[in-house]
Amino acid sequence: MFAKGLRLMLLAAKQLVRHKVRTVLTLCGVASGMFLYTAVQTMQHSLDKATRMRAADTTLVVYRENRFCPETSRLPEFYEEEIRRIPGVREVIPIKVTVNNCGASLDVITFRGVPQNRLARYAPEIKIVDGAYEKWLTRDDGALVGKQLATRRGLQPGDAFEAAGVRVVVCGIIDSPLPQDNSVAYVHLAFLQQASRHGLGVVTQFNVRVNASEDLNPVAAAIDARFRSETDPTITQPEKAFLAQTAGELIDLIGFTRWIGLGAVLAVLGLIGNAVLLVVRGRVCENAVLQTVGFPGTAVGFVVLCEGVLLGLFGSGIGAGLATAFLVWRPFTFGNEGQTIALVPDASLFVNGVGLALLLGMLASLWPAWVAMRKPIVESLRT
Amino acid sequence: MNDHDDILIRCHELTKHYRRGDRTVTPLQALDLLVSRGEYLALMGPSGSGKTTLLNLVAGIDSPSEGKLEVCGQDLTQLSRGRLARWRAHHVGYIFQLYHLVPVLTAFENVELPLLLDDLSRRERRERVESTLALVGLDDRMHHFPRELSGGQEQRVAIARALVGSPELLVADEPTGDLDREAADAVLGLLRSLSREYGKTIVMVTHDPRAAQAADRILHLEKGRLLEQEGA
Repeated sequence: MFAKGLRLMLLAAKQLVRHKVRTVLTLCGVASGMFLYTAVQTMQHSLDKATRMRAADTTLVVYRENRFCPETSRLPEFYEEEIRRIPGVREVIPIKVTVNNCGASLDVITFRGVPQNRLARYAPEIKIVDGAYEKWLTRDDGALVGKQLATRRGLQPGDAFEAAGVRVVVCGIIDSPLPQDNSVAYVHLAFLQQASRHGLGVVTQFNVRVNASEDLNPVAAAIDARFRSETDPTITQPEKAFLAQTAGELIDLIGFTRWIGLGAVLAVLGLIGNAVLLVVRGRVCENAVLQTVGFPGTAVGFVVLCEGVLLGLFGSGIGAGLATAFLVWRPFTFGNEGQTIALVPDASLFVNGVGLALLLGMLASLWPAWVAMRKPIVESLRT
Repeated sequence: MNDHDDILIRCHELTKHYRRGDRTVTPLQALDLLVSRGEYLALMGPSGSGKTTLLNLVAGIDSPSEGKLEVCGQDLTQLSRGRLARWRAHHVGYIFQLYHLVPVLTAFENVELPLLLDDLSRRERRERVESTLALVGLDDRMHHFPRELSGGQEQRVAIARALVGSPELLVADEPTGDLDREAADAVLGLLRSLSREYGKTIVMVTHDPRAAQAADRILHLEKGRLLEQEGA
């Protein structure tokens, strides 16, 4: 049974390969649709990864109340010691954020100023993939650049670059399991404070690590209660909720792309359906001959179905593969209000895209296959 | 072997109706016919006399409206579509006037088609296809596509496709109708040798009296009825 199925699939493949122009045009259409779909899915996936709370999340962000942009969120650096005293807090790090563009943009450069001697302890997951951490520790204008930002800007250790009025020298390229870290540059806190017009002693936010995820809400409430009557009150949220709130417009924009993805899927469905239906209409006599020589109607239908599936499979393989390769070669980072979401392609998205197109190919070919297998032989031979 | 075993095709009161618009057409009417094993039969008659309808019924690609039809010991009216397809694969080879080769397949691949759903190994299929193509004199053209062959060669590939499953019965619908005289003679010679040397039963529809002369028996049909029988 399996061997016979394979032979029929080979027959379908010959039909496709030997009708080159028709097949290439259909594959181009399917690949374009699946390129779009994979790009959109990558956006959705990256957004989901950046904003969806998970059980293991233990990071809080302390921001200035009623402020949404890093330029306007100013908190005294001495809050750090006060926060550290609150029960449940494991680690606190003050961060000064400077961005080249506070609005929505596809090419955001974000500098994160952190106390240089505490970065390794606060974020042990960060790995240096090129350059030296020690060099960054000793160089005031040194920067540890996320690998995506480095790829986007073509940066290597030793290069100098300037953005948002800040000029730094790359000391190392970093890789982190947290996508946001891969699209920013870490610099010394004091250096960034001095480079900005706000001066020393002012930071944008505090990132707080709590002992366990169940401590997130009580600790956040305690922090905000502590500073409620101060000149600079705070709003404290889990990191991902903070990102979801601060980058709301961006999320709305990316949310809209869901419809583009759906459109791409429907286009692929229609394209394969149309191509296979035309194939069946053009092969009425040929299919009747196959039945005359002993092919049951189901075998003829199976050949047609295989053609749709193969078109979907190869078209999506090309489209999803190109989209993945493109996003690896030319990484994009969405940014808004100083928050960044890196578009990180994922192998699972490629597999899902190919799987979906396979299903679409099958669905789109069902009706043409039914038409091919049910048409009376004698009537078909007369066409 | 008794008389009963000698009969390969048995038609009794065979009738075919179909609807064309709001009227009923009857291309075949209460036809009785017996064809012996190994017989080479030519069917002649004007267009619309029911020749091709009879051929299609005998080949199992159309079903009768009334009457009995037994071919190769099988009552065809009792078979489902799927079983009829498998029956055709093993018992009948059909040769079309316009060859009807699949244009994107080579001569070898066209001839291999009827074997694709059999339980044969790749090697067995290759051997059968090669020997059948050799039988029709096209072993040097097996990897050519139909567009690279002459009309006569295409028809010989179509004959090889009809033969490759070793069917007892070959049906041919005007097999020389689209060929020049030389190619037609070659095809008729081939059919004759298949009948004489390999004992195949052949039912051939033709308008060409020369082609019919090659048969053992000629039947004339008119308005769906048999008119006369003559020996060749």
